[in-house]
Amino acid sequence: MLPAAILALLVVVFVSLFAGQVYTRLRLVRRAGGSFDTANAPARASRFLREVVFQTKVIAEKPIVGVAHALVFWGFVAFAGYSASQFLKGLRLIDITGTAAFHLYSLALVPFAVGVIAGILFLLVRRVFLRPEALGPLSGESVLIGGFIATLMITFLLEFFHLVEGPAGAVNWWLHAIIILVFLALIPNSKHFHLVLSPVTVYLKSPVLGDVRNLDFEKEEVGIETVGQLEKKHVLDAFTCVECGRCQMNCPAYATGKLLNPKKLILQNETALLAGTLDAKLVEVYDPGVLWQCTTCGACENQCPVGIEHLPLIIGARRGLVSNGDAPDALGAMYNQLERRGNIWGITSDVRQKFVTSAGLETFDASKHEYLMWLGCAGSYEADFQKSLRSLFDILRARGVTFGVLAKERCTGDPAKRTGNEYMFQELATANIAEFQAAGVKKILTACPHCLKTLGDDYKKFGFEAEVEHSAVLVSRIAGDLGVTGTQDVVLHDPCYLARYAGHTAEPRDLLAKAGAVVKEPVRNEHNPFCCGAGGGLLFEEHEEGTRISQQRFEQLQATGAPTIITACPFCSIMLKGAQASANATTEVVDLMSFVDGRMKSAAAAASPPAARPTPPSAP
Amino acid sequence: MILVVAEQREGKLNRASWEAVAAGQKLAAKAGGPVKVAVVGGGIDAACAEIAGAAVAEVLAVGSPALESYTADGFVAALAGLLASQAPDYAVFPHTYLARDFVPKLAARLDCPLIADVVALADAGGQPAFTRLIFQGKLAADVVPDGNAPCLVTVQAGAFSADSAERGTAAAPVTRVAAAVEAGAIRQTPEAPFREAKQAVDLSQAARIVAVGRGIREQEKLPLAEELARALGAELAASRPICDAGWLPLERQVGSSGQTVAPKLYLALGISGAIQHAVGMKASKTIVAINKDAEAPIFELADYGIVGDLFEVVPALIKELQR
Repeated sequence: MLPAAILALLVVVFVSLFAGQVYTRLRLVRRAGGSFDTANAPARASRFLREVVFQTKVIAEKPIVGVAHALVFWGFVAFAGYSASQFLKGLRLIDITGTAAFHLYSLALVPFAVGVIAGILFLLVRRVFLRPEALGPLSGESVLIGGFIATLMITFLLEFFHLVEGPAGAVNWWLHAIIILVFLALIPNSKHFHLVLSPVTVYLKSPVLGDVRNLDFEKEEVGIETVGQLEKKHVLDAFTCVECGRCQMNCPAYATGKLLNPKKLILQNETALLAGTLDAKLVEVYDPGVLWQCTTCGACENQCPVGIEHLPLIIGARRGLVSNGDAPDALGAMYNQLERRGNIWGITSDVRQKFVTSAGLETFDASKHEYLMWLGCAGSYEADFQKSLRSLFDILRARGVTFGVLAKERCTGDPAKRTGNEYMFQELATANIAEFQAAGVKKILTACPHCLKTLGDDYKKFGFEAEVEHSAVLVSRIAGDLGVTGTQDVVLHDPCYLARYAGHTAEPRDLLAKAGAVVKEPVRNEHNPFCCGAGGGLLFEEHEEGTRISQQRFEQLQATGAPTIITACPFCSIMLKGAQASANATTEVVDLMSFVDGRMKSAAAAASPPAARPTPPSAP
Repeated sequence: MILVVAEQREGKLNRASWEAVAAGQKLAAKAGGPVKVAVVGGGIDAACAEIAGAAVAEVLAVGSPALESYTADGFVAALAGLLASQAPDYAVFPHTYLARDFVPKLAARLDCPLIADVVALADAGGQPAFTRLIFQGKLAADVVPDGNAPCLVTVQAGAFSADSAERGTAAAPVTRVAAAVEAGAIRQTPEAPFREAKQAVDLSQAARIVAVGRGIREQEKLPLAEELARALGAELAASRPICDAGWLPLERQVGSSGQTVAPKLYLALGISGAIQHAVGMKASKTIVAINKDAEAPIFELADYGIVGDLFEVVPALIKELQR
């Protein structure tokens, strides 16, 4: 009876230690404002299945590490019944360990145990000897727990194969049991709390990347200023973080020598929450200036294997600053332009009108036009991007697509939304939606990935449900044979808001292939591109700490050796052209539509006899 | 008696103080009585000596260690004491940020009238009246004080010309007055005064600008643009790549992350006109662009465009300007 009593005492002590720490944390989640969003259960369940059960996110970016982790994870799940049975036996409550079924179950666990040992040893070697930057300074606790896990498996195997008998067997059994109990008590205050929380956090993560809820001004919400104002999901995120550093290693700000490190933000939240400094201002909890270094590229949130959402946190904290008038000067000027002229550059609307007239654009009429062509700030006012729109219009007209534009446009509000000026965003959004509805708009076509995200995702929160499509997607679908011969080497820069946010990586490649391009791939491409540096309001701040993000990206693209960089976003284009000019490089930056149109026109010119070509006008 | 309270910062007299003296002297001509000037603060000897050049009866140097830096509590305590002992009929202040900060509090402390932002003096049946603008300058009201003396008056900058202040034949006597201010009674903690970083080159004030871009090709070619700028009497500016390369200092950068300019003439040499640059110069009155690339976006903005090699065009321009 004595061993059972001792075990019972140990169980009570360690389970209480575990429960006490869990209680502290859950209480902090409970007291936080906001609510958990559980809409769209099928998408959440599907993410849960992929990312938790099958560990796809863990494996996708780092296959070897990911598989090692998956082995440990699956082993843990498999061993749940074994550990429970052994404890029940030890406590003399019920003993099923002698049954044939249990023996069969144990036999099935042997390969899992081998897998866990292989996985954990690999991870330990990586952590202790390879020391990747992402993991930060070596933590003794992680090594201890790694050792625990290996020991658990070894003690299991020793027992199963009867390699230890008698008193040694008893020691083996107790070692196994005590390690489990100590491990349990260590879980909540370490990164291993993700064992408990990440399945929940992953399920609660929005199916939409960068899903930042609207503020309710009726409730006088202004954003997050203090630790105590962090919302439920932010608090849960802080305790879930597994400190793997994938967010950090994929962050363009971190990569270019800025202070921003998404992992650090989450851990600083955790520390502040546990310290109980709920009145501390977030700007003082974080390193100076980091909140304004985020391009909202979404790499951190998209890479996170445990369901953490960084964008609602960063944008929420920006809102807190903006509501106090603490936005950087460059953004203040941009807000002013938005307010006065309805576009980010403060250009007068006659410039747009001039373009609309010269490009022969009709005013949208639902009875005549299938698509509303949304020009956006760049399409309305940026001469370079207007050239690529003219190419797009030529392609659309040649394929019989009907489209019209609004008589007047104002910015979708993307830069206001991403920089935390929620009030301005909602004013722009509601005004635009009223015009769409008055005009009977059902389908919107835009060449700007930022407009795509804002019109397509953010406007849904106002009940606006039009079909919004990026020009690269539509043109790739309707292009058919472009009649292009010959090939040309290009490198494609995937815009974050087209590839990572909207998932369109195949369409631009398909279209390029049709136009005879041989697409070279840079580092960080497709679903995980490296940002150009323009998003999140950073277009308006060219003085960056460290290296410019645009310069780093330009060098990555240049390194492919392709003479032409193709992109499909006006902001990427501005940033990369700026980097190209500063680098004085010969690599050219061309918008996707200009490239396709150019290839088609030169093919047509080559096909037609020279006499048929119009003679150039003589010089005046 | 009329007491003018001069303003100084770090011992240097604010020019608006002379305007307040001019107002005080004009008021004395109507209301009668001598004019005295008070200077409050620390290290004010030079300021007192300067203002003593005015035709006034006396300069009162009001000092105390607690007044070294400006605080509303300190100045109100010092001036409340001074006004009580001197018992002027009117106290005149320049309507500065400082006065706006502490004079209303002083009026409340003394329970006396304050007429702020006065632009002129008037008569109201033999009594001085003070003109101030109301309804955003649409109407002018002549205000007569009602209540205990002294009447506090602040005068709008520029309303009374500093040059019209009468100078005395000999310097007025300067009397030191110890202000009874207890440091412990001051609740504000002053910080070092904020100074806006001053651009060494203020392109926003330039009437003409010659701006260079990538088209200049190499740093050694910059003197050509400098020569054109000299010939035009213009400031030299640049687009981002030139400043990134360090060919010109950052303070000469025009654009979204540089300066925003609106000169009468903006001459863009070899600048493509990317939007980041355009937003900084689009408000220029007349834009002249010289660029080899006829497709360059700068021509969308330009009033006059020259498609050509700047190394041919600029020397010709200089030659023509120097004729």
